[in-house]
Amino acid sequence: MWLELALISIIFLGIVILGNNRLATTIQLFALQSFILSTTPWLIHPGLHAVIMAGVTILLKVILMPTLLFWAIRHVSIRREVRPLIGYGTTLLLGGFLIGMAFLISSKLDLPVRETSNLLVPSAFSIMMIGFLLLVSRFKAITQVIGYLVMENGIFLFALLLLEKTPLLVEMGILLDIFVGVLVMGIVVNHINQEFGSANTINLINLRE
Amino acid sequence: MELFLLLGLPPLMAMISFVARENRTRKMVLLLTAFIHLITVASFWCRPHNVQFSPFLGFDALSQLILTFISILFFVVSIYLMGTLKEKGRPNKLFIACLLCLLAAMTLVTMSRHMGLLWIAIEATTLLSAPLINYHRTPQSIEATWKYLLISSLGIALSLLGTLFLAISATTTVKTVFLPDILSHAAFLSPAWLKLSIIFLLVGYGTKMGLAPMHTWKPDTYGEAPSPIGALMSGAITGCAFLAVFRVAQISFHAHLQEFMSPILILFGILSLAIAAIFIMGQKDFNRMLGYSSIEHMGILVLGVGLGGGAIWASLFHMINNAFAKGLIFLAAGNLYQTFQTKKVENIQGVIHRLPVTGVFLIFGLFVLTGFPPFGIFYSELLILKQAITAQRYVVVFFYLLFLSIIFFGLSKIILEMALGKPPEHVHKEIKKESFFMIMPLLILTAVLFFTGIFVPEGLYQAIDEASMLLGGR
Repeated sequence: MWLELALISIIFLGIVILGNNRLATTIQLFALQSFILSTTPWLIHPGLHAVIMAGVTILLKVILMPTLLFWAIRHVSIRREVRPLIGYGTTLLLGGFLIGMAFLISSKLDLPVRETSNLLVPSAFSIMMIGFLLLVSRFKAITQVIGYLVMENGIFLFALLLLEKTPLLVEMGILLDIFVGVLVMGIVVNHINQEFGSANTINLINLRE
Repeated sequence: MELFLLLGLPPLMAMISFVARENRTRKMVLLLTAFIHLITVASFWCRPHNVQFSPFLGFDALSQLILTFISILFFVVSIYLMGTLKEKGRPNKLFIACLLCLLAAMTLVTMSRHMGLLWIAIEATTLLSAPLINYHRTPQSIEATWKYLLISSLGIALSLLGTLFLAISATTTVKTVFLPDILSHAAFLSPAWLKLSIIFLLVGYGTKMGLAPMHTWKPDTYGEAPSPIGALMSGAITGCAFLAVFRVAQISFHAHLQEFMSPILILFGILSLAIAAIFIMGQKDFNRMLGYSSIEHMGILVLGVGLGGGAIWASLFHMINNAFAKGLIFLAAGNLYQTFQTKKVENIQGVIHRLPVTGVFLIFGLFVLTGFPPFGIFYSELLILKQAITAQRYVVVFFYLLFLSIIFFGLSKIILEMALGKPPEHVHKEIKKESFFMIMPLLILTAVLFFTGIFVPEGLYQAIDEASMLLGGR
C-alpha cells in the first residue's frame, strides 16, 4: 500500500518537473523525489541493508547534490528555462504517452523474480523515460543534469528488484560515482556560466563540422 | 603487494601531489608513479596469466594485454608531460591528481571480475578525464567537456541498466554478476532479459568507445583536449571500453547468442567506418581528424569481434597496434601545436622543414595508422578481410574495402600536405628547437611499434592467442 503510494508520487513529481520552468523549483522537486525514493528500500525489504541505502541516498541525493546544483547556479540571473526545444504542453503530453508506453512494455516482460509490487517495473521505466525526455528537450545545463539524475532515479527503482542480490559495496560505488558525476558536471556548469555569461547550452555551438 | 602498487599507490601519489608546493615536484611524482606501475605490470609477464586476487579482482590474458599497453602508454605520456607541462603559472594540481587517479581507474577496469565493479571503474575513467579535457579552459574546451560528460554519462547510464538486466536474467540461477559465475552459467540465464541486457550494454559501452552513431562527442573532445590527453584517451581509455565490449561478447558467446550479437557489432563497425570516411575527407582540424580516425579503428575492432573466428585474434592485435600508433601521432600533433600554436591543417605546412624529427615521425605515424605493410595494422586489417571473405559476407567486404580506401586517401592527403607542403613565407618567427622530451616519447613508441607489429615476441603471441580463446577464436 505505502509502496504504491510512494511510487505514484515519484511518477507524479516527475511529471511536475517536466512542466516546470524555474530552475530553483526544479532542483527542489528533484530533492523531494529523491527523498521519497529513499524510503522505498525499506518498504520493500525492511532491514539493515535498506537503512544504509536510505541513509546514503538521503545524504547524497537529497542534501549534497541539490546544494551543489544551487551553488552552480548562484550567479545565474535568469533563473528560468529559456524556450525549450519542445513546448511545455507538448512535453507533458509526450511524458504521458511515455508513461503509457512504459506500462505497456512492462506488461510484456515477465520477470524471473518475484515482484513486491506490480507497479515497480512500470514506474521505473516511466521515470527513466521522463528523465531522458528532460535531458534531450531542454537547453539549460542545469535542467539537463536534473534530467540525467531523474533517469538515475529510475534506474535506482529498477535496482530495487535486486536489493538482496547485489553486494552493498557495488551499490555504494554506483551512488558515489553518480555523485562525483554531478560534482564534475556542476563545476563545468559553473565554468559555462563564467565563460558564456549564462548556463545555456544553446550557446555551445562552436564545435561543428 | 602488487595490488597496492597498481591500485593504491596512484591515488596516494595524487594526494601527495595535491600538497606538493611546486609544479616540478608534481611532474616528478607523476613520472615516478608511472614507472613503478610499469615495472609492476611487467613483473606479471613472468607468471602464468590467470591470477585471482579476490572475488572482485583478477587477471586473465586479455586484461593483462590491455593493462600492459595502458601502462606503457601512460609512462610515455608522462615523459612527454615532463617537457611540455608549463612549470610557471597556474598550478597543475588538479591535472596531475586526475591523471594519477585515472591510471588507477583504468587498472581497475582491466582487473575487475564483477560486472558492477567494471561499470563503476569505467564511469570513473569518464569522470576523471573530464577535468583533463578542460585543461585550457577556453570556451571551446568547455563545450567539448560538456558534450563529453553528457553523452558519455548517458551511455554509461544505459550500460548500468544493461548490467541490472543481466543481474535480473541471473536471478534464478547464480544470483550474482561475478564474471566467472555468469560465464559458467551463461546457458541457463533467462534469454529474453539477457538479450535486452546485451543490447543495452553494447550501446552503453559502445558510446564510451565512440562507435557510430554514438560517436558525436569524439571529434569535439579529441579536437579540444591537450594532445597528450588525446593520446591517452584514444589509446588507453578506448582500450578499457573495448575490454567491456569484449566481456559482453564473452557472455553472449557462452550463452550461445553469437547469431544475435554479431550483426549488431558488424553494423556498428561498418557505420563507424562510414562516418569516419565521410568526415575525414577534407577535414580542416588535425586533432578532429585524429578523432575520426579513432572512430574508424574502433569500428574495425568491433567488426573483428562481430565476424568471429580468426578475426578475433586480428582484433586484439589491431587494438594493441592502434593504441601505440594513436599515441605516436597524437604526441606528434602535440609537438606541432607547441610550435605552430594552431590545429588548423592549412596553417601547419612544411613540418619537415621546421621540425625535421617530428615531420619524420608524422609520416611514419601515417604509415602505421593507415596500415602500410609491414606494420601490425596492415596484418590485422588483412586478417579481418580474410575472415569476412571466408564467412562469405561480401557486402561487409565491399564496404570495408571502400571505406578503408577512402580513409587511406583522406588521411594521406592531409598528413603528407602538412609534412611536405611549402611552409608559408610570412611566418618566420624564431624556430624552436625540438627538445629531448618532445622526441624521446616518439622514439620509445616507435620502438614499441616495431615489437608489437613486426618482430612480435613469442610471449605476446601466446597472450593474444589465449585472449582470443576466451571468445573461441583460433
